[in-house]
Amino acid sequence: MTCPFLAYRSEANDRQFDEPRAYCEAAEQFVQPMRADICNDRYDLSHDEHCEIYLEHADEVPAGTETGDETENAGQSAGDDA
Amino acid sequence: MSYENYLAGEPVIITAALTGGVQGKEATPHLPETPKEIGKAAAEAEAAGASVVHVHARKDNGERTFATERFQEIDDEIRRQADDVIIQHSTGGTGASDEDRHLPLRTDPAPEMASLDMGPMNRYDHLTSENTRGLVDSLHEEMVERGIKPELEIFNDGHMNETYGLLERRELAEPVYGTLIFGPGTLTPPKPRNFINAIDNLPEGAQFNTLGFGRHQLPFVTMGILFGGHVRVGLEDNIYYERGELATSNAQLVERVARIADELGREVATPSQARDILNL
Ligand code: SF4
Repeated sequence: MTCPFLAYRSEANDRQFDEPRAYCEAAEQFVQPMRADICNDRYDLSHDEHCEIYLEHADEVPAGTETGDETENAGQSAGDDA
Repeated sequence: MSYENYLAGEPVIITAALTGGVQGKEATPHLPETPKEIGKAAAEAEAAGASVVHVHARKDNGERTFATERFQEIDDEIRRQADDVIIQHSTGGTGASDEDRHLPLRTDPAPEMASLDMGPMNRYDHLTSENTRGLVDSLHEEMVERGIKPELEIFNDGHMNETYGLLERRELAEPVYGTLIFGPGTLTPPKPRNFINAIDNLPEGAQFNTLGFGRHQLPFVTMGILFGGHVRVGLEDNIYYERGELATSNAQLVERVARIADELGREVATPSQARDILNL
């Protein structure tokens, strides 16, 4: 199951792309390709375990979209600022 | 390798890390993502002085893929557009299965080089790329079978111990080639004394490559040149040319480091010289 905040958009925040890209409706921004694997629950990744943005916004998930998860504070991400 | 190697004026190998797997065009429109774009970036980087290109594979929307077929498409484009550049595949892959991590090694022909991460690295707040010793050994084994030179990625001092551990477990072809990586998070803190320390800790006879993330790219590659090492630049590791100004291409970053090497009296290695230095 993919993250309920995930959308694919070609355009947002004054940015345009040829191919629709992963966009986070909780953070209101396009997400990094590596994080998109978390959004899509690909490989061994899952949004409700590995994404600090989801964990911060879990109580905003519309009812019936997904069972609520515990909320956890998110800090600064590390090792991905290059 | 040391300052004496610098004084001896040995050629410096420039690696261009063209695309990476973490950030994409959402970070900078200049980052190549498709095979055609990566091929063009490789040709331009080679013309600017790079003898090695480090590549990851992506889908058309920029997302990661580890599929052999996609690496094949990228290699075909690089060979079509570039001249003689050495292709180095990444075998990194946070969250990917061990089986997926082997897939980049299986193109035809095999890449001349591939990265081999020496240990764990944290990503975001809840994720770690584990890079277990078991995975390191199995990737190395397949590299040996396919004639691929491993580029050992040493994220921090602990990974230097892991490098010695690998040398005890496995026989590595000479010279051992390790990339010393400086930056935030799990990486070695980017301080000159840590750089000197890392060089001192390298195995006897090893050649080293220098990688600084973000704004540390330029000062650390300059130190790499001065201490007889090799250097890596590119949009995978740093998207800025200077503070607040995006780099317009990988080639722009390569051109600058080639110019610095030239000013400091080190010849920039051609792909052929790089093959000799690394015993490919
Ligand atoms: S997984 Fe995280 S980044 Fe991705 S859509 Fe959900 S909240 Fe946003």
